[in-house]
Amino acid sequence: MRPWVAAILYAVLGAITFVVCFPLLWAISTSLKPKDEIFRWPPTLIPENVTFESYRQLLFGSGVASAPGAGTPPSDFFLQWFANSVIVSVGSTAISITVATLAAYSLTRFRFWGQRAVPYVAILGYMVPSVIFVFPMFLTMVALDLTDTLLSLILGYVCITLPFCLWLMWAFFRGVPIEIEEAALVDGASRLQVFRQIVLPVAMPGIIAASIFSLIVSWNDYLFGRVFMNSMENLPLTVGVMHFFDGTHVDWGLMMASSVLMTLPMAILFGFMQRHLVAGFGAGAVKG
Amino acid sequence: MKFRLSDRQVGVLFMLPLLVAVGVFLVWPIAEAVRLSFVRYNPLRPDEQPFVGFDNYVFVLQDPLFWESFWQALVWTGWSTVLQALIGVGMALLLHQPLRGMNAFRGLLLFPYIVPTVVIALNWRWLFNAEIGIINHLLLSAGIIDDRIAWLSTPNMAMGSAILLNVWKYTPFVVIVVLARLQTIPTELYDAAKVDGAGALRRFRDITLPQLAEVLAVVIVFRTIWTFNKFEEIYLLTRGGPGTSTYNLALYAFDQSIANLRMGVGAAAGVIMLLLLLAGSVLYIRVSGFGREDKSA
Amino acid sequence: MTDVVVRGLSKSFGSNQVLKALDLTVPSRQFVTLLGPSGCGKTTLLRLVAGLETATAGEIRFGDRRVDRLPPGERNIAMVFQSYALYPTMDVARNIGYGLEVRGTPKAERQEKIGAVAKVLEIGHLLLRKPKQLSGGQRQRVALGRAMSRRPDIFLMDEPLSNLDAKLRATMRGELRRFHLDLGTTTVYVTHDQLEAMTMSDLVVVMNEGVVQQIGTPEEVYGRPANLFVAGFIGTPPMNLIPAKVRDGVLTVAGAPLRVPLPPGAPADVVVGVRPQDVTMARPGDPDTIPGKVWMVELIGSERLIEVEIAPKVRVTAEVRASHRAALDDVVAVRPDPAHLHIFDPATGAVVSTTAP
Repeated sequence: MRPWVAAILYAVLGAITFVVCFPLLWAISTSLKPKDEIFRWPPTLIPENVTFESYRQLLFGSGVASAPGAGTPPSDFFLQWFANSVIVSVGSTAISITVATLAAYSLTRFRFWGQRAVPYVAILGYMVPSVIFVFPMFLTMVALDLTDTLLSLILGYVCITLPFCLWLMWAFFRGVPIEIEEAALVDGASRLQVFRQIVLPVAMPGIIAASIFSLIVSWNDYLFGRVFMNSMENLPLTVGVMHFFDGTHVDWGLMMASSVLMTLPMAILFGFMQRHLVAGFGAGAVKG
Repeated sequence: MKFRLSDRQVGVLFMLPLLVAVGVFLVWPIAEAVRLSFVRYNPLRPDEQPFVGFDNYVFVLQDPLFWESFWQALVWTGWSTVLQALIGVGMALLLHQPLRGMNAFRGLLLFPYIVPTVVIALNWRWLFNAEIGIINHLLLSAGIIDDRIAWLSTPNMAMGSAILLNVWKYTPFVVIVVLARLQTIPTELYDAAKVDGAGALRRFRDITLPQLAEVLAVVIVFRTIWTFNKFEEIYLLTRGGPGTSTYNLALYAFDQSIANLRMGVGAAAGVIMLLLLLAGSVLYIRVSGFGREDKSA
Repeated sequence: MTDVVVRGLSKSFGSNQVLKALDLTVPSRQFVTLLGPSGCGKTTLLRLVAGLETATAGEIRFGDRRVDRLPPGERNIAMVFQSYALYPTMDVARNIGYGLEVRGTPKAERQEKIGAVAKVLEIGHLLLRKPKQLSGGQRQRVALGRAMSRRPDIFLMDEPLSNLDAKLRATMRGELRRFHLDLGTTTVYVTHDQLEAMTMSDLVVVMNEGVVQQIGTPEEVYGRPANLFVAGFIGTPPMNLIPAKVRDGVLTVAGAPLRVPLPPGAPADVVVGVRPQDVTMARPGDPDTIPGKVWMVELIGSERLIEVEIAPKVRVTAEVRASHRAALDDVVAVRPDPAHLHIFDPATGAVVSTTAP
């Protein structure tokens, strides 16, 4: 490639990257500004006085003793919400991945009646929007007296993560050569030994990719949390931070700091697992 | 004697959790949604669920807000999908160039896909803030506009901002799928075209585009279905406002169920969405040839 | 030691019958090759013997043990796969010892056996590597080592050399043969490469369309093919198969009479088979020759192939010394060696008579 062509391409790429990253850079910038600077006009692109006050408030509490009747400020719940989100994301992912991995293996390795229909059901379930699942599941949770519990959220998220986990694992197992399992059978391993000692280690990249997608989807969900949960201390992060809008005065510094903290776990996952992510996309299985 | 399961037993045993899960997490909620659409259900009086036949559907189809939501959903879906496809293919072609450091660019440009919708909505509200938002500031100082624009409280601008949010978040999806396909086009094809004397534009038109056609069709159907039913992107950015100018069917169903406490009506709207989606899925199966390879397996 | 006896074995996939009531005996300690074109059922037969497929009908015995209902792991066999099928997440040592591991062999004994196998195969320095870090030839050896470590009753090999380059394949042929002679384990070897079958086997089983065409030593299947399929399949360049007539007890090829003893009751229409190596060039008009025109001349190293058109679209190839000169369209004649002629009945494909020793 000629140098000037490369230079133009780099310039275009740089510009696009800047545009794509700008909302997040602006969030970081805002989260580090003191309150008076946030509301200054014209706005400063880079904070003149860097402060971690917003982060401190989220992570260590507002320090405001709750006056009688005033209630605890929402930002004091931030760590609790964070923990809730971790628990429900990991919980629902564990269920979906286990069910999907077992079933996908069974689907690609054995023959039985109705087998052909399963991937169709998966693709269909994968397209059904959460707004259709959420109310029937909510009424079921009401009937089971499970509303406002983390368990109800874990179960709700299985609705939206299981179909694509199944789809992804199914696509993955189809690509795993069956000869290595046959070799193990000839070597004298039982079916379960084959599964545990040969198949699972080989399937790890697929399991990791599906887990990341599942974690992202459950971590990012808002709707289920909004419908299922009531008490402040039980909310997932996504629903919780929207309560920062409740007052008359919006604290954008606090908002942007929680945006950054909320994105951070996903960004770390993404950084470590980018290779697997792309593999998952390649398999054509992404929820979005 | 070692404890052994036959292949058939293992096969059935491994399928059981899925069968239970599909029943509980897929069939049950959908069946329940269909049942709800035929009763009057007020969550404050859960014990009274009189059967009302097609009343809920009649109500929905006669509701001007439903139709407004439907047409707005089409606008929202059309613009989002077209822009995602165009920008996505362009970016994929760019990222496919053999340049140093391309992996870093790929990583950064795929990043929006994993950012939580709540975070994007918060950021958008801040960026597009009418009083002190950076977008207004940048446009003002560049002389593109003379007055501040109330982005999120002007109907057309609110829809535009929502579409922009959707494009920002989901274009990476198109990029990755197209990029993956680009990498499987055999380079011999381009060599052959060069030998035949085809220029860069012709090679793009006659080799790249036809090879991408199939995967693009699949991606567009996928994105159309998902975008049409999106809830959080709009709800968190505009709550459907100003007024009802950014409502879509998902918001309509949500509103009927939660704000108006008419779960039956909400469910009926949901079932209508489901029927539209089924039509879309049939299209997907046609376009992608999904299941064809399945037969040979 | 164990022989393999297959009786009336059939296998269908849906409506497609891949094996048709097949009978076969693999004698103990022998190296037997299943040879045939792709789709002939040879791999299916091997997989049935391994227990990776279930037969539609028939039985399989190892010695006096009936095995066709046993899972593969209980048949005490070892198999080398075409793709080698090494366990990608395990290192070479664990790959080799996996069969012992699942049988609960103590670690010390396992390591001793792995070491011994690695020494024979000269892969001791690779034991800690993963399959991905090995070359094709090294993977092949590891797959072999995995099969050898357990001292199985029977070795099954499914085209194990087909993924190697030509040179390595030649070396491995010799090594495999040598290992077999040292170990004396009954071996069933599937291939579509007749060179492998010829050089390595005690017995060759030629298969086509799910049916055994001929069982014999390499010399027998080459020298006395039982039918047209075997005659055409074995030998390079392939045997000339020329339509001919029998008139008044005299064999006539393209109008030219050949003095060949014919069995009583030979059909009027026959196919004469003669290998290019048994055809010599002659002058037109010589007795017992067939006149024709040179159609193509090819040099194949030390020999030269001359294709002679003896009738429209009917050509006979002769393999002669490279020093023999011939130009296109020369008027010549070919002389099939009367001591190496095979006469086939085109209706059944079966051989009618053979003059070969």
